[in-house]
Amino acid sequence: MIPPKFEYLAPTSLAEATAFLAAHPEEAKVVAGGQSLVPVLKLRLARPGYLVDLGRISGLSYIREEAGTIAIGALTTYAEIKESALLREKCPLLPQTAAVIADVQVRNRGTIGGSLSHADPSADMPAPILALGAELKAVGPKGERRIAVENFFHGMFATALAPDEILTEIRVPVLTGQRSAYLKAARRATDFALVGVAVRMRVGKNETCDEIAIGVTGVADKAYRPAAVERALAGKRLEPKAIEQAAAAAVQGVEPLGNIHGSAEYRANLARLYVARAIAAAK
Amino acid sequence: MHKIKVKINGTDYENEVEPRLLLVHYLRDKAHLTGTHVGCDTGNCGACTVFLNGKPVKSCNMLAVQADGADLMTVEGLARGGALHPVQEAFLDKFAVQCGYCTPGMMLSALALLKSNPKPSEAEIREAIEGNICMCTGYQQIVDAIAHAADLMGQSRSA
Amino acid sequence: MLNFDEIFVTRNWFGKPVRRDADTRFVKGEGSYVDDLNMDCVYAGFVRSPHAHARLGKIDTSKAEALKGVLAVMTGPEVAALTKPVGARAITRPARQHVMATGKVRYVGEPVAVVVAEDRYTVEDALDLVEVEYEPLPVVVEVEEAMKAGAPLVFEEAETNVLLHDTLTHGDIDGAFRQADLVVKEQFRIQRFSSTPLENWAIIAKHEKGTDSFVVWANCQQPGRSIVNVCGCLGIPANKLRFIVPDSGGGFGIKLALWPYIVSQCVVARKVDKPVKWIQTRREHLLAGTHTPDCVVDLELALKRDGKVLGLKIRDRQNDGSFVHTAGIYNLIKFATMVGCYDIKATQAELMSIVSNKAPTVQNRGVGKPAMIFTLERLMHRAAVQLGLDPAEIRFRNFVQPEQMPHTTPSGEIYESGNYPETLRKALAQIGYDGVKKEQESLRKQGKYIGVGLSASIEPGTSNLGYYYTSRGTPEYMGNAEGAIVSMDYDGNVNVLLGSVDEGQGHATSVAQVVADMLAFTPERVTMNTHMDSLVSPFLGHSGCYANRFNDVDMGAVIMATKKVRDKVLKIGAHMLGVPEGEVRLKDGAVCSAAEAKKSAPFKDIATVAYKQILLLPKGVEPGLKEVAYYKNEIAKMPGKEDFNVQMTHSNSVHAAVVEVDVESGMVSFRKYVIAHDCGRHINPGIVDGMAIGSTVHGVGTVLLEEFIYDENGQILTTSFVDYMKPLAVGLPRFELTHLESPCPTSLLGTKAVGEGGAIGSLAAIANAVEDALAPFGVKVTSLPITPEKVMRAIRETKVI
Repeated sequence: MIPPKFEYLAPTSLAEATAFLAAHPEEAKVVAGGQSLVPVLKLRLARPGYLVDLGRISGLSYIREEAGTIAIGALTTYAEIKESALLREKCPLLPQTAAVIADVQVRNRGTIGGSLSHADPSADMPAPILALGAELKAVGPKGERRIAVENFFHGMFATALAPDEILTEIRVPVLTGQRSAYLKAARRATDFALVGVAVRMRVGKNETCDEIAIGVTGVADKAYRPAAVERALAGKRLEPKAIEQAAAAAVQGVEPLGNIHGSAEYRANLARLYVARAIAAAK
Repeated sequence: MHKIKVKINGTDYENEVEPRLLLVHYLRDKAHLTGTHVGCDTGNCGACTVFLNGKPVKSCNMLAVQADGADLMTVEGLARGGALHPVQEAFLDKFAVQCGYCTPGMMLSALALLKSNPKPSEAEIREAIEGNICMCTGYQQIVDAIAHAADLMGQSRSA
Repeated sequence: MLNFDEIFVTRNWFGKPVRRDADTRFVKGEGSYVDDLNMDCVYAGFVRSPHAHARLGKIDTSKAEALKGVLAVMTGPEVAALTKPVGARAITRPARQHVMATGKVRYVGEPVAVVVAEDRYTVEDALDLVEVEYEPLPVVVEVEEAMKAGAPLVFEEAETNVLLHDTLTHGDIDGAFRQADLVVKEQFRIQRFSSTPLENWAIIAKHEKGTDSFVVWANCQQPGRSIVNVCGCLGIPANKLRFIVPDSGGGFGIKLALWPYIVSQCVVARKVDKPVKWIQTRREHLLAGTHTPDCVVDLELALKRDGKVLGLKIRDRQNDGSFVHTAGIYNLIKFATMVGCYDIKATQAELMSIVSNKAPTVQNRGVGKPAMIFTLERLMHRAAVQLGLDPAEIRFRNFVQPEQMPHTTPSGEIYESGNYPETLRKALAQIGYDGVKKEQESLRKQGKYIGVGLSASIEPGTSNLGYYYTSRGTPEYMGNAEGAIVSMDYDGNVNVLLGSVDEGQGHATSVAQVVADMLAFTPERVTMNTHMDSLVSPFLGHSGCYANRFNDVDMGAVIMATKKVRDKVLKIGAHMLGVPEGEVRLKDGAVCSAAEAKKSAPFKDIATVAYKQILLLPKGVEPGLKEVAYYKNEIAKMPGKEDFNVQMTHSNSVHAAVVEVDVESGMVSFRKYVIAHDCGRHINPGIVDGMAIGSTVHGVGTVLLEEFIYDENGQILTTSFVDYMKPLAVGLPRFELTHLESPCPTSLLGTKAVGEGGAIGSLAAIANAVEDALAPFGVKVTSLPITPEKVMRAIRETKVI
């Protein structure tokens, strides 16, 4: 299993990279850690004319707090997210998710920006990013734009990024005073999610749900927020019965997809189950 | 062709490579370090695990050009001056080696764990090698070997 | 037969967990697997069929041949024209097949053309450029369709897809079913799976122009038969092929069937006049084989009310895919374990080997016995529940008792040793059987569902290779044997060569332990080159690493050759010491006088006489200290339908599993796992434990994870380790081992099989535990694998997994 031939570019600036992408919108493919792309190239499922490696561009790997927001550089690896003391304290949902992605070696190379740009419908990271209401920063030849995460995922392996745009930063809120959890159903520890559910919520007195956001991955052609579940729980007391009833709407409005690892029906059932379990775990 | 420079097990290498050359093939075919193995196509089995700047990665899931400038360590870099590394001793002591094919990658994953966690629990050991598939042992003697390696490394530290 | 006590002079090493220092190269990354051999090779790769069944049209190789670096492209028909067809072993219908596709393709992944280029990267580029025309044909995927009248034929000349169909009856089967109080029956479906060694197939073939002969390096598990088959297909005499097996990254049977690729590699090596290397990719390995055949098994037990089993009927339909060489073998080898550990007096087996448009099959770890024991032990569990007996109790009531040994089964298998009731008692004690049952009760009240499952199984070893004679004429092979050369070199160290190969079992260490105790010295002084080379290694048609035979015939050959060396060393030593031959003994690597211990001749001095100072040799003694011996297991019967022993040693085990089923998600997890195991004496307990656990994890994969999935068009959907799921370190229990030791009276060391047991015994233990856990829901397990989706659906709707 050998990649087909391609030209390799290792630009040292974003301007250089995006200019090249603008000039070759059809044939160029961006690579970061390569944990998704390299296997795809080896299986010859993609045959890009050019591979644009972001690895030589400095300043794209960081985790820092900026006025109530945490900014994460797109080339930050899962391992760095998992180990980040800042995130563990102020946005534990991300380290918790990163810890269950693939395995140690993949986490050392795989990047948050690469994962989100790849938009695999079974990838873990889109779920917490949705639940966190993240803002994504993209840079193109004409400059920078910010994309709200709810507008980012367009479908299977499809995002709001233009062919000449590069995702550079992910901005997530500080979760002080909030509860969160990521729960994943998978046959084996390192597998893609059959279903992955990220929950973030603000819980008031008497265990009432003051605010809740849920991200679900693995079920549909893209990660999504089960709005009906969120609505049903808002302002309610987080009792097992209420959670279970609300979670019944976990796949409302989406079309579950199946493959050999789990049929659409099974994934829908798991989604209802894991939405309830994730809410309970976040409690 | 691209020129790359890497350090492998302390030795400098410089080669012209095709950009599509996988790091594992660079190590095996250009640097002639055949201890790093290929067991799958998709980055699942971990037989190709090497250290890239001190961290374990899968060398079949990476292009050689991406490693330009990096400091690499392969299984051949474990033993020093003819003496086996404690991880190697432990793998032999506990019968963690059967066919030997997963062993190099498995040992590097083990070492990566023990560098950051000198006294791992069984669960932590199992999690640290979940990216390495062994078809022979059923893992148990490997898990025991890694716990044993932790003891050996602890002893050599305190000695 | 040499008496156990006559074999050893010391007992310092046999039975001890001696470290595998002989394999230190593996921890240093210095193994020499085929792909590590650097001999200025060019590379080969295969164009493979994307269709499950199609007429092969024009193959246009011109674009590929024009690519820079490409040395040759040969099509399947071109290779077929230069080779002879593959031989069949067990089937009774005619079916003609070549090592590559010719005329038509019969499965997705069948090799259609072979490309040779200067490097592996160019090979893959060239594969993309070969254009093949296919005319798709109707496809048969599952056995039921393949058996229908008018079904598309995989081999037209056979006029049916059922290439072997036979019914063998032993004992009064009608009487057994007439007298039964209860008949328990079930249809089981067991999936396609594979033990997938971590190193894929690898071959280097070189043509020697001067002698028009071939040298092959391959990670082949069974060099004996492979040499015969390769020479047969190439139409060359045995002296035109030198066959070398270097280090091999696991086998499990899967490396028994790479020889058709050796044939095509030899053909292209001759054409390009360079050594040609082919390294199979994982995708190719999963796509095109080889696999364990999937099967549909109908099993019936006739029981008395007290649980005593009177008779057993099996109707076995194997989906043998599309490889005539191995078709039918799985059916026939089941006779080795048909009645399991039980004293059942009557059996009837209807056997069908069915071909389909699935990939080729091969003898995967345990070969048919995992399916046989799975179905039998599932029904024993079911029978117990129906009769209101405890699943342990029904087994106690049916076991062959230790005092019945040797026990002959209705079909003629001879169980030579074992204590089955004691094995079960040990397993029950270790698992805390009664405690688990109580815990199950209380946890159910909390909505948690745990279950305990038992499986008692036979693990046979050393196949009597003529067993497939039961279906066709005189067998090409019969019995089982191995050859060894043992030499003491002029330094007084010992070197061993075997006809067999090592797939990771640590043969060099086990051999060194035995030889060291036979010669009263240390294992460090025994070297075994595990790299088989047909030019220098003694080998037979049986030679290879399969059927759990190392501990028996391989060790037998080593012992007999060592004995010859020892006799000669004693003779020369006595002569040197001036002491009568009967009055010397071995001690600390020397021959010494029994009367006067100080009077001794170290091996080095004796070897010096044997190799250099040959005028000092006793009269009539040849120089040198190199001996060859071949050893055969004596209890093999001439194969015949009425009375035959398929295998010759019989280990046994009881697997006991406690699982928890998450009844909401369908996920199964382990709480406890016990393996009570009897493989006779252990040569090296460290190695034995690794085999018992490693083979059990193969079973865990089979029960819970692994499956080659085909769609209705014969497309295989599981061609990577993402989709074909192997067990990982996380998710497995800690296996608790408990050993019994009933020495085998028919092997020299009292040792028995140890390589396959877990893969045989674990399936039913886990499945029975799942069914026990789900008893409140009335769910039955009749198929494998037990996926969470199937579990969830069974709980909610179907009641059947």
